[in-house]
Amino acid sequence: MTVRPRRRDHAIVAVYTGKVIIGVGLLMLVPFATSVAFGEWDTALDFLISIFACFVFGFGAQAIFRTARDPSWTHGLVVASGSWIWATLLGALPLWLSGHAGSYLDAMFDAMSGFTTTGLYLLQDLDHVSRGINMWRHIMTYAGGQGIVVIALTFLFRGTAGAYKMYVGEGKEERLLPNVVQTARAIWLVSLAYLAVGTTVLWVAAMWLGERPLRALLQSAWIFMGSWSTGGFAPQSYNTMWYHSLTFEIICIVIFVAGSFNFALHWAVWKGDRREIVRNVEILSFTVTLSAFTLLATFWLAKSGVYPDALALARKAFYQLVSAHTTTGLSTIYSKAFVSQWGTVGMLAVTFAMAIGASACSTAGGIKGLRVGMIFKSLVRDVRKMVSPESAAVRGRYHHIRTASLDDAALRAVLTVVVLYAIMYVLSGALGALYGYDLSSALFEGVSASSNTGLSCGVTDPSMPGVMKAAYIVFMWLGRLEFMSVFALAGYAVASVRGR
Amino acid sequence: MKRSAQPTAVTILTIGLALLFATPALAIGATGTEPVGSATLVDRPAAYDGSRVDFEGEAIAAPMPRAGGTWLHLNDDAYARSHVLEGAGLGGYNSGMPVWVPGEGAAAVKTFGDHRHVGDLVRVSGTFNAACAEHGGDMDIHATELVVSAPGRRVHDPVDPWKLPAVVVMGLLAGVAFLAERRAGRHERTGLS
Repeated sequence: MTVRPRRRDHAIVAVYTGKVIIGVGLLMLVPFATSVAFGEWDTALDFLISIFACFVFGFGAQAIFRTARDPSWTHGLVVASGSWIWATLLGALPLWLSGHAGSYLDAMFDAMSGFTTTGLYLLQDLDHVSRGINMWRHIMTYAGGQGIVVIALTFLFRGTAGAYKMYVGEGKEERLLPNVVQTARAIWLVSLAYLAVGTTVLWVAAMWLGERPLRALLQSAWIFMGSWSTGGFAPQSYNTMWYHSLTFEIICIVIFVAGSFNFALHWAVWKGDRREIVRNVEILSFTVTLSAFTLLATFWLAKSGVYPDALALARKAFYQLVSAHTTTGLSTIYSKAFVSQWGTVGMLAVTFAMAIGASACSTAGGIKGLRVGMIFKSLVRDVRKMVSPESAAVRGRYHHIRTASLDDAALRAVLTVVVLYAIMYVLSGALGALYGYDLSSALFEGVSASSNTGLSCGVTDPSMPGVMKAAYIVFMWLGRLEFMSVFALAGYAVASVRGR
Repeated sequence: MKRSAQPTAVTILTIGLALLFATPALAIGATGTEPVGSATLVDRPAAYDGSRVDFEGEAIAAPMPRAGGTWLHLNDDAYARSHVLEGAGLGGYNSGMPVWVPGEGAAAVKTFGDHRHVGDLVRVSGTFNAACAEHGGDMDIHATELVVSAPGRRVHDPVDPWKLPAVVVMGLLAGVAFLAERRAGRHERTGLS
């Protein structure tokens, strides 16, 4: 029998969702201040309207649904997944008010893409948007990389009871420190430290490349946010092709690879355990699959003779492949060049890299290297079992922060998520194909949205069918939260209607 | 009759010769005198690789001076001549082409398009590279001629009249919600309900 949630359950969900949305409103203070600083008064009013809308929702929910009860697992998962929908609805408001979104659905697409660090966008005339709007796009992606619930946990939650359930619901499981609120703060400490260092390095590079100091500072901060969060947003429509600089590209690669690493790995290295970098199964898995797909794309592009020399070939292939594999989505080629220059094999190499993605508990999306590594280790264990005497006890182990044995329960959980990702990738590709896009392009774009990568081969466009826009919003949401909390929200909704 | 036939033959011959010479001229026009769109170049890079092309677009954001020249980014999209702030409708994504201008040639471009500006409309002639050997495989145009065909301008960024009252109303609502939440919290702490 399905139990219908009571009013007190709705109250818990509403109160905690309200806290998260207040956090979203507070985030908007940054682009509001940017607009004021540059005298963009119309944009500043857009942000004030949006900030107040978040506060009306957040404080209103807490005032109406008063409760001091701690959330259960179900509440935590529902809050985590539901908050992303509300954050998308309200985060889209300034984009829509800017007049650069074709519809509210387009604005929601960009907000979900930002929060989920995907990087696909439907905003039109990006090259003429205000600095405030560009700041908001990048703040969304930077905050979304850490997780909007993590933000609320860091700044707005006093108690820790129930916090871990929301933290898990947002697609993160690892505790850097025993207390989950301290873990959330540690994640922000790591991210803010990298923000300071990364922005400074990019700023110096941009000025060296001839940019004026103020413009260079803004561009560097935005490119850092788009890189570190593996988001893929950039302030110009040319993305990182804008800079025409190998130095700038190398710095970006270092930042988005760092951003794609597990926060637990960062924390271990911060604590002095540098050997973890070479022992961690995620890093090993990432290195092997990245090398394989880069070699495949490079071989194909060399055979096609697209690029004039080995350096240009290596530069273009490596940048796009690392960007794809870390699910960043920054690029130094035109979107349509994937079709007109890279061809089917090049696009498939990028598609597979996006599908796998980077590390768990990072800013990245996709299936994740940890799962791929565990499946590979399990395969090796099974082969060893087959060639060993029947009496031999063959056990598999993997190293991720600590060494653990491969047990069947963990593998079952891993395979469940991998199968769900595979189904989502196929569905997203099939949807594009049904709307008339050729299969390789449809699969490329569908996987890009579902794995929160953001590379485009030209399918995503303001003129794209509304059903595809809505479906991509759902795929980005599912991919970022890794299914379970979204399923919990769906179950909660069904129980609210059909339960007893 | 023979006299009257002669002009006809000359006319036919003239038209024939004109067509003969016009055909290559038209062909050059496709890549040499009529600007080629960035969408065409990106969709069919191999067809234009190494060709001399004319390209026209709005100079965007800022010049990027480097050793030996300057990068310009010219957008030939729906916003090249009109700004959204001036009421231009949305017309899809931006599209354009990076242009490498050697020496000081880019100094003629004064205004660059951004939130408050429509950039100079710039027309260049040069060589299109599907993957430039000199610039790390970038798709670009190396300009040999550059003309500012229309100067850019600053655009007014007006405040929509309805937004100020909307801010006041939303601010009041947010204030009421905040006070209600504080009051509810105080009641909870003192055991009231």
